[in-house]
Amino acid sequence: MKIVISSTGEDIKSDVDGRFGRCAYFLAVEVEDNKITNVACEKNKGAMQGQGAGIAAAQQVGNMKPDKIITGNLGPNASQVIKGLGIPVYQASGPVEDALTALADGKLAELTETVPSHFGMNK
Amino acid sequence: MKIIGITGGKGGTGKSTVATAVAVELARRGKKVLLCDMDADCPNDHLLLGIERKQACEVFQRIAKWGLDKCDNCGKCAKVCRNNAIVCVEGSAPMFMAKQCNGCGACVIECPRDAISWDEKVVGAIYKGSNFGIDLLSCELEINEPVSEIVVAKACEIIAADKGKYDHIIVDTAAGTHCDVIAALGVCDAALCITEPTPLGAHDLELICKLLSRMKIDFEIVVNRYETGRDKIVDAVVSKYRKAVFAKVPYSKKIMMDYSNAVPVKHKSIEKITAWIEGSA
Repeated sequence: MKIVISSTGEDIKSDVDGRFGRCAYFLAVEVEDNKITNVACEKNKGAMQGQGAGIAAAQQVGNMKPDKIITGNLGPNASQVIKGLGIPVYQASGPVEDALTALADGKLAELTETVPSHFGMNK
Repeated sequence: MKIIGITGGKGGTGKSTVATAVAVELARRGKKVLLCDMDADCPNDHLLLGIERKQACEVFQRIAKWGLDKCDNCGKCAKVCRNNAIVCVEGSAPMFMAKQCNGCGACVIECPRDAISWDEKVVGAIYKGSNFGIDLLSCELEINEPVSEIVVAKACEIIAADKGKYDHIIVDTAAGTHCDVIAALGVCDAALCITEPTPLGAHDLELICKLLSRMKIDFEIVVNRYETGRDKIVDAVVSKYRKAVFAKVPYSKKIMMDYSNAVPVKHKSIEKITAWIEGSA
């Protein structure tokens, strides 16, 4: 299973980035039998977009083909795209590795509410 | 007949106050006047003239239209879209975010299978009304729509078509020097810049003077609330572009009361401006 997480840094010791569209990195974590088999990092190309950051970021994540997504908050545009792709999103904060454990233990809630447009700007 | 723009750069300098006062004064002199409120984001000439507007037409913006039966998910449309209005994830059909689309048409040109054509959405409306013997044309942008210039451009088409019916057309622009202001000034033969004696007034006056010079539109400068602030800093800008301030509107209790009560302002400066407009016709 592949999980993509919005992250403040390039490895799983970093914190989950509370923003989706304007987060710093996306970590693609491959998990098999509750063990991490691979971690790949992509810079979020959406972060520097003038407008439509959430859309660009959602497209990038969509192309990473995840089974699940973990982030802090999701804006209305990104949410529309990810819903369209049918990928479940889970909410977390704190270190990425802890969020992955919580997800495996079924302790992360699915993210259903969106935050207003431009929530992640200048943060 | 010359179309006169009332502009000024800074907001709140009295563009609408002067535009409505001058339009009323021209009507008093027996002229057929069309006043155009081109501030599509915040139109309020109708409030100053006690006009209840009626919608004349809606204004549409073209946007892309999807025909997914022809689409083979190549993703070229998403790559070319600068507004991120198209999402194309490998293996899924492209998604179209209509709110982001500004109708540039790049996707229509880029699509190798002619899958994309044109659709439209309402972005605003043009209203009409009359009072004090003047006809008013009023632009209004829908809330949350970003491009007021589209509504202004539609009003410009109406002005071009109705031009023959009037002795004078006054075009009251929005503040600033952006596309909506440029579109409105595009139909004008001459302009008046209304400013105020403050650092902000002087700074923004210079911006609009530069724009009008570049557009090769003759203009005069009017200072509102004269002698209440720093007249000298405005004079410094004026001297770069004109011999002198053309007209000075004082800051008087009478003018403020009239403005608050939606009574068109009367003052000798307004008469001077009116005479200038009559003379340039």
